[in-house]
Order: sequence, then C-alpha cells, then structure tokens
Amino acid sequence: MSLPQSLRVSVTPLELELIACEQLVEIVPLISMEKTAFISGAYGPLRPPSKSKVPLWMAINLKLKKKCHIVPPEWLTVDFLQERLSRETSQPQFSKLPFRFAEISKVVLDVASDDVPNADKIRSLLKDLREARQAKSREGLQQIDHSELSLPNLCSMEINEIRPVFVQSMGLLSQLVREPENRAGDV
Amino acid sequence: MSTSSRTLTNSVHPPGKTCLAFSMDGKYAYTGGSDSIVRIFHVEKGKDQEPDAAAEAEDNITALTAANECWLSASEDSYIRTYTAGKNTFNGLAGSVKGATINCIAVDPKGKRIAVASDELMVKISDLDNISNVQIVDGFKRGVRKVTWDPSGSLLTVSCGDGTIAVWDVSEEQPTRLEVIDGIIPAVTDSESEEFMHDCSAVWHPTGQRFYAASRTHDIVAISRATWTKSETLSDPSVTGSHTAIALSANGAFLASACGSEVLIWSTQKRRVLSRLQSTPSAVTIQLAFSPSQNLLAWIDTQGGFTRVSNAIATEFGDPIKDSAAANVQGQVISRKKTPTPWEDDADVDLDAVGGDDGLFGGEDWIIDDIGGGMQDKPERQDKGDGYVKEMVSITKAQSAFQPGSTPMSVLKRRYLAYNMIGVIEVTDQDTHHIVNVEFHDRSARKSYHFTDHFKHDLASSGERGAVFACPPEQDNPAQVIYKPYGVWSTQGEWTYILPKGQRVLGVAAGGNKAMKSLRENSDSGGDLQGHGNVVVATSAGDLTFISGSGVEQIILGLEGEFVTMAAAEEYVIVVHRPGATTIDGSQGLLATVISYEDFEVLQEKPLPIPKGHILKWIGITDQGIPAIYDSAGYLHIMINFRRPNRATWARLLDTNAWERKQGKDESYWPVGCSNETFHCLILKGRQEYPGFPRPLIQELPIRMPFRIKDTTEEELLRIHINLARDALPDDEVSAPDLDRRELELDKITIRLIQAACKTDKQPRALELAKRLNLPQSLAAAHKVAAFYKLHGLREKFEALIEWREETMTPAEEARERRRALGDEDAPMAMPKPFQDFNAPPRVDRPGLARPTGIVEHSEFSSSNAGLRPIREKATGLSMSRSASPEGKRKRDEDDHMLNGTESDVKRRALGDAPSPATNSSTIIYRPLLILPNSFYQTPSLERTLRQQIPTLSHESPI
Repeated sequence: MSLPQSLRVSVTPLELELIACEQLVEIVPLISMEKTAFISGAYGPLRPPSKSKVPLWMAINLKLKKKCHIVPPEWLTVDFLQERLSRETSQPQFSKLPFRFAEISKVVLDVASDDVPNADKIRSLLKDLREARQAKSREGLQQIDHSELSLPNLCSMEINEIRPVFVQSMGLLSQLVREPENRAGDV
Repeated sequence: MSTSSRTLTNSVHPPGKTCLAFSMDGKYAYTGGSDSIVRIFHVEKGKDQEPDAAAEAEDNITALTAANECWLSASEDSYIRTYTAGKNTFNGLAGSVKGATINCIAVDPKGKRIAVASDELMVKISDLDNISNVQIVDGFKRGVRKVTWDPSGSLLTVSCGDGTIAVWDVSEEQPTRLEVIDGIIPAVTDSESEEFMHDCSAVWHPTGQRFYAASRTHDIVAISRATWTKSETLSDPSVTGSHTAIALSANGAFLASACGSEVLIWSTQKRRVLSRLQSTPSAVTIQLAFSPSQNLLAWIDTQGGFTRVSNAIATEFGDPIKDSAAANVQGQVISRKKTPTPWEDDADVDLDAVGGDDGLFGGEDWIIDDIGGGMQDKPERQDKGDGYVKEMVSITKAQSAFQPGSTPMSVLKRRYLAYNMIGVIEVTDQDTHHIVNVEFHDRSARKSYHFTDHFKHDLASSGERGAVFACPPEQDNPAQVIYKPYGVWSTQGEWTYILPKGQRVLGVAAGGNKAMKSLRENSDSGGDLQGHGNVVVATSAGDLTFISGSGVEQIILGLEGEFVTMAAAEEYVIVVHRPGATTIDGSQGLLATVISYEDFEVLQEKPLPIPKGHILKWIGITDQGIPAIYDSAGYLHIMINFRRPNRATWARLLDTNAWERKQGKDESYWPVGCSNETFHCLILKGRQEYPGFPRPLIQELPIRMPFRIKDTTEEELLRIHINLARDALPDDEVSAPDLDRRELELDKITIRLIQAACKTDKQPRALELAKRLNLPQSLAAAHKVAAFYKLHGLREKFEALIEWREETMTPAEEARERRRALGDEDAPMAMPKPFQDFNAPPRVDRPGLARPTGIVEHSEFSSSNAGLRPIREKATGLSMSRSASPEGKRKRDEDDHMLNGTESDVKRRALGDAPSPATNSSTIIYRPLLILPNSFYQTPSLERTLRQQIPTLSHESPI
C-alpha cells in the first residue's frame, strides 16, 4: 500500500496470510501418521489415500516436502469463480465469498498450483474479481459519512486495505459533524 | 493354392485416421492417412516394395474408394480427387464439400455415381462424368459416418452419427427414403472420439438381399431387405468389445470383423467364427477389405499399420472369390432352418438367391468338390446341430474374467492394471515393450518404482506385501507369473512361476498381513517376520494355485466352473466363479467362495446378489478386511458375518442411484476401496466406462445404507461394523479400546433415538432401542431420559431391564470382558509415541513415599518363600552391602526379599548374623572350571562388580 508509515495502522497482508493459515483444508496425504497433538489442536490420523483435514500451515509444510496433495476448496474452481465474477460485475453489492479467500487462494496457488486444475485460469479470474471488488470499495468511499458504512461480504484483505483511510476519514468526519453541536452546547 | 496364410505388415502412415481400398481388379491396394499421402501397393509384391504415392491432397486423407477406371480420395482439404486406376496420375477433382470433413465416399457398383458423406447433414450423390449433376439425400440429424451402395446400385444405405441406418432409393431423380433402422449401430456424436473412426457401414451381401452391420451390442447383425428388420445375428462368446470394422468376401460367404486385437473370420452361412487372425495389439483396426480377385484380406489400423494376409481363408473353409452356391443357396437353406421368426422373407430370399445365381450346385456337392473328401463333413454337421440349440435359446452373455481395478488399453496407450487402496499399477505401451509404473498412496510405507517390461504383463494385483504380475503366452514363450515383494531392493525376493504350455493365467491376487510399520525398515530388524504374503493364481486349466510369498507352491485347488475374478485379503482369498451357466433370464449365476490361506478351508460359499441383466464390476476388501462387491446396477454389498461358518449374508450398504449427488447427473462410479463410513471411488462423467489419465483424485463418498425410512441409517451401519469387529476379535486384530469407543458412540446415538421416541411418546420403540444398548451406564442414562419425560411405566421397565442385565451377562459383555483382559496384557506393547498419547499421564510409582511396614524378623526356618523369587534378583548380588547393616529397625519389604535371596544361596547359614567382610573374603566359588584365589575378592565392591559381569556364573554356583 502506498501509504506513509504513519498511516499503516493495519496489519500487513503477510500477517493476514499467517492468520488464514490456521484454517482447515483437505489434503490427500502421501504419508501415514498417527493423530498428533499440536498447540492448536490434534490433527490426523493421516491414512493415505483417505483425505484428511489439517490446518493450512501444515498442508503447506507437507506439500513443500512432497508429502501430500492439497485438495483445493470447492470455491477455488473455475466454475464457481466465473459465476461469482459475473455476479460481481452485474450487481452493485459484493458477492459472497469466503472471508479469507484472497489469502487462502494465494497460498494454495503459490504452493500447490499443480493440485489445482486450471490454475492459470483461476489466477486470472481471481485478479478480475479483485479488481471488480476494489472498484466497488472505492465507490463505497464516496458514500462515507460520519456514523456508519455498511459493506456486507467484504473480505478480510479488502477490509484491511481500506481500513486506514476509512478509520481516519470517518474520524475526521465525525469531528466535523460533532463540532457545531458542541458549540451550541457552549452557548 | 497354398494352404498356409502369410501375413505382411507395413507401417505406412502416422497414427490417426487411416483408410483403405482395393482396386476393382484386386491388383492394387490404396491406403491413405493423416500424412495426406495415398500409397498404392502392388498386391503381388512383398513387404519391401516401395509403393507409389499420390501427394496432391493438402490435408489428411479421410476416405478412399475405387471405380473401374479410376480411384478417388477424399481429403480434409475438402476436395475429392480422381486418379487413374493403379497409378498416381491425378485426373482432376470429382467434387468438394466446403467446411465439413468428408467421412466416406462410395462409388456405385456401376462406377457411374459417387456418394459423399460428410459432417454435413446430407449425402451428395454426383455423376463421376458430370460433377454438377448432384442429387441430395438429406434429413439427417447428425453427421453421416458411412455410406454404401447395394449391389444393384439403386439403394443407398447411410450410417448416421445418431445411431441410425437410413435406406434410400436413389434410382429415381428424387431420392426417397425407404426405411430408417434405429438401434443397430452405436450412436457416436463426437467426431473427435476414437469410436467415430470405427467402421459402422452397412455391408451389402452380393445377393443384395441383406446387409451386415456391427451392432452396438457387440454382435454383427444382418438386416433383411424384405422387412428391414434383423434377420440373423452373428455372435461369439469370445467377443468382448465392439467390432471396429467389418468386410464381406467377394462372394459373400465369409465375413471378416475386427474386434480388439483380433480379426475374426466368420462364415455367413454357419454364423460362427471359423478362424482368428492376430492384428496389431493396442491399435484399433478401422478398415477391413477382402480383395475382389484373390484370397487376400487386408486391414489398416489407427497406428497406420497396413496388414495383408494372403490365404486368409483356409482352404478347408472354401473360397472367398468363387461365386459358389455355398455363399447363397446353402446359406439360405440353413438360415431358414435356424431362424424361427420371419418365415416369409426367408422364403423370399431363398427364391431370389436361387434365381439370381447362375452356377448352382447342391450344398453337399460343393463341399465334396472343393475338398475331395467327405471327412470334414461330419464336424460341420455337428456344428450345425450345436448352432441350432444355441440359436433357439437366447442365452445371457457370460461375463468374462477380469481383474478388479484394471482398465483396457486407452487410446493414449496407457492402462491401469490395478488400482486399489494400496496403490496404482499403470502401464504405458511403448510398442516394443511396456513401462510398468508401480505407485503407492502411502509413500512413507512403500517405495514407488517402475520397470521396463518386455513380457507385456496384462494382469496385476498389488497386495499388502507385494505386487504380482502375469503375462499371456506369446509364440514360444509360456505364460508366467512374477511376484515382486515390496521393500526388497534387489531382485532377490522376486520369483517367477512358469505355466505349462497352452495354459493361460486368468487372474492373480496378492494378499498378506497389513504391515505394522514401514516396509522399508524390514532389513533393520533382520528380515521380515511376517513374510511376503500369499499369491493366488487362477489358470485356464481350471484351477486355483496357491503360492506362498517366497515362491513355494502350496496347493492347487480345482475350481468348479469358469473363473471370473478374485481378491485377496489378509487371511483369505475370495474367488468369484460361475459353477453352472448363465440363466436364460439374464442372471450371471456367480458364486463367491472364501478360502483361507491356512489349511485352504472354505469359509463361505455364497451366490452373488447381482440383479438380473447386470454384471459384477468390482470386488475388493474393505479396510476392516470384509469382502465387498459392486455391480453394474450401482449397489455395494459387503459380506457380513463372513467369519462365522455358513452364516454369511450380503448386506447392501449403498445404492448409488439413490444418492442425492447423482440426481440429474450422468455419472458413474468406479470403486477403488471401501471403509467403515466412506466409499472410495473415482467419478466417471457421462458414458465414460473407465478412468483416464492423468490419474483422477479418489473421491470419498459417504456410505448411506439404502433404508427407506431415513432416521436409523447411521446407527445400523455402526452396528454392523461393531458386530464384524467383534467377530474379528479372536484374531486379536481390532484393538479393544477402539471397539469400546465405538460401542459408546453407538450408545450415544441410541440414547438420542430413545429421547426422540420418548418425546413423541413411542414407548415400545424406546424399549426396543434400550434393549440394544451395550453399556450399563447407557441404560442408566436411558432410565434418566424416561424419568425426565415422566414416563413412569417406561422407567420401571428400564429398571427391570437394568436388573436383568446385572444378573445375566450378555454375549457382547462377555466378549468385552475377554477383550479387556487381552488389552491389559498387551498394554505395555502398545505404548504410543510421544505427542500421540492422548491418555491420562501414567501413575508414577514412588517407593520412597510408600507407607513403611514393620520389620519381619526371620528365623532360620521362616524363609519358606525363597524358592518363589525370581532368579534375576539373585544375580544382582546387591545384598552384601545391605545385609551389612541388618540392625536397622525399619526395613522395606523389598529389602527383605533381597536379603532372603542371598541368604538362601549361602546355604542358609548365619541367617540372623551380619556377614562381615572377613567371612565374605573367605567365600570360595565352588566351580571346577574357574577357581579364583581368595585374595581376588578382597573387597565386597570388587566382588560385586565381578559378579555383575558374570551373572550366570554367580547364580549357578553356590557361594
């Protein structure tokens, strides 16, 4: 984000990615492992070729060691994204997507693009989606007022993106609105 | 005429669609392919001839035909070109079809008109002399695949992509449609598919009274001209796939059809296979042609291979050229006898045939003429008799032997030999050899490998302990079986089992104990204690051969009936065979036999519950070791109670047709494995029959028992598995805590159901459910539920139930007690790894904090328990220093034992005394072999160390 350091009050995308890595994904393990305790919980047992649900960070770790295939979530398919994109471009509101779709899709496509069918197509669709949604959140900027702004289905990455601007400008707006009342009170 | 046939094969075109035609005089053969060149072969010349080439076309050659003076080629560049017969002299264009692929061209028997079939929805007929004179035959729903003329040149038969054969009368100016015959040839709409290349043309008999076509049911059918209905069927039990090309000999007596890697020669009159010729394996023969002038059969395949077989019809069968009566009259007579239905038209045909033929001989005359002896006559007559019986009864086609989890060779020249829950065996065909790739799902347990296979193994099975492969006999090489155990690096462990000549392997299965841990670690423990498992081979000699994993033949069991398939589990093999025959009404008549490896006793014999008209698709073993089958009707069954002799039944676990996900979708399931709650399969879209490449992901679909009322499903499934697990328990397989956990789970579900029943005031149901509860505490919970809902009557009944349970012990409880006892014994062995232990931490024993006990004064006569103590304690020799201070008022029990032990060894002398260092030093080891000087034991500590070093010595010898 092209903001000066002082305005960077939100978390970085990398940190968001780290948070998203706690989400569970399905994997097809290539190794067998007993149920194992981690700080966040117990995962497993891994019994190839049965699928198993593990946190994304573990899936990435295993994938990088070539010890599993990641099963892409059902929203990470060409059909689903295409449908969402057409809805995104034809309707004024944001379409419903998983809250951390940007982070998860990035991680999965980075690490396991060979497990995702039509990875290139999905990448371009995600980019289109992002652009369409970004345009909408810019529009939302115009409707900003001092008290509230409702943008349903906004995703974590997008919230994070607009947070500094919105927080500051809403703060300013509320100051501007409150000012005359205060004066009236004084009088 | 020489009697031996000679086969010449040339690779003339690159792989792809190819075509073939003979010149009218039979001297030349024209071949075309995707290299846009037509090659002209001299039929007389041998394999090494350099054929002429006509290279005018600019794109793939898609069709060829020959007329009297010329030959014609159709190319994907949309032009039809004419050339001088036998030469590559280009004479000009004979027509064009813009923007559509020409699928077939055909010149009428007079050589005047040409019919052009293309992806357009019509057929154009134009004069060869005047190409602007065009007749249009249209009204097709799909592109036209093949077009043929009847011998008179007045009828045109059009095989269309939608699976219909249309017959048009084109003798008049305006063509008229006579008939559309549906349901004979397969519908192929995708012009890119391999099936589209198959020859589906209607081949006219020279008499013009009927034509033959390859049907979608893998038969060859003859359609009578009089009624346009099926008049006869040529079928053979060995035909498993579709006929990819057919051709009739010049006189119509013989029909050649290509099926798989064979070319079958049929007699049209006897309607049976006379002989078989081998075609190129892995290539699909897409056009066949008999030479019009000599005993020569030629074909061309998708690999561009052009094969000529001279004397393809053996002399004893007759001549394919001579317009003999055999082709017509005799054939007709017999067919009239055989065919029960259309009497009139057969009579018609008979008359016509007689009228239309010049050289009429009697049927018998002809045979005697040609062979010069009546000897061959007899078997033929017998055959006729056979044929009669078989024709009268429409018999269900018997399912042929198959290997679970295997697929046929795909167009990409790859196939799966085995696909199960352990791994995948894939084969890639490299023409001269195969590459076999063995991969495992669990890469931590077994190492994937691949090897070059010159034997071209076509059967394989991967078991827990090794993979077994089998290859068919080829020429001089007999059939053989190779077993490759896993986890063996060198070829040491593998062995080959060679079958006698003439026998084939029908099926193989490898089974064995599940590996406790990684198979790669075997060598660390100095060899695998559990062995290499077991191999079972079914041969064409009608037997099952059991071979141990190390290659020792164990037993050869006879197998009644035909073998179909088998699967091997840890301790048994389940064989599916057909003891009798298929029934008339469509049942396959299959029987499953479970045979244990130990003593080869039959555990179960049970017919398969396959609905009529359906076949067995898959057989396997679930992860609990239970036999499971899947049939083409979409049912999954498992054999419950199979461990109790003669108690087995097939439980229907799944009806894939009732799945929500299947509704409104055209998909089928290709099973891979089955576990407690999930069905592992590959999902095939559309009409796909086998999974393709690259390997699709295994899908896990939940098992839902096909109950009609929806709420009991979960519970019943669990109950079945618990019962099965209980049965398995004498073998110490399922760990007891696991089963207890599942029982608890089941009880929880049952309690929920009881609650629901109480809520809706269905007391009998609640009571019935309560009786099924396993654990006493669950009954107490049910009691509470009844109390909560203020159902006092029910509560009292529950109380009675609890009382009754307390008095008697249910079988389930007895089993549990036994398991508990076993579990306690095994507990130390099943120590979980750190981080994988979810149990409460173990109790730490702290003897230092133990409650002290009062000292026991031992007299000379009180240590009667000395003999009971373990020998180990004597060996430690600890007590010397301890016993040096016996005056300590408070001593622990343990130390007393120690004390007693040594004292008894020291001949029970001076029991109460303190053994001083002096007495100690004077002790002598009374052992003849090793006498140490007294000074050696100067100090007790030295002695102690020495004794510890030679413990055996010290406790054998009294000190």
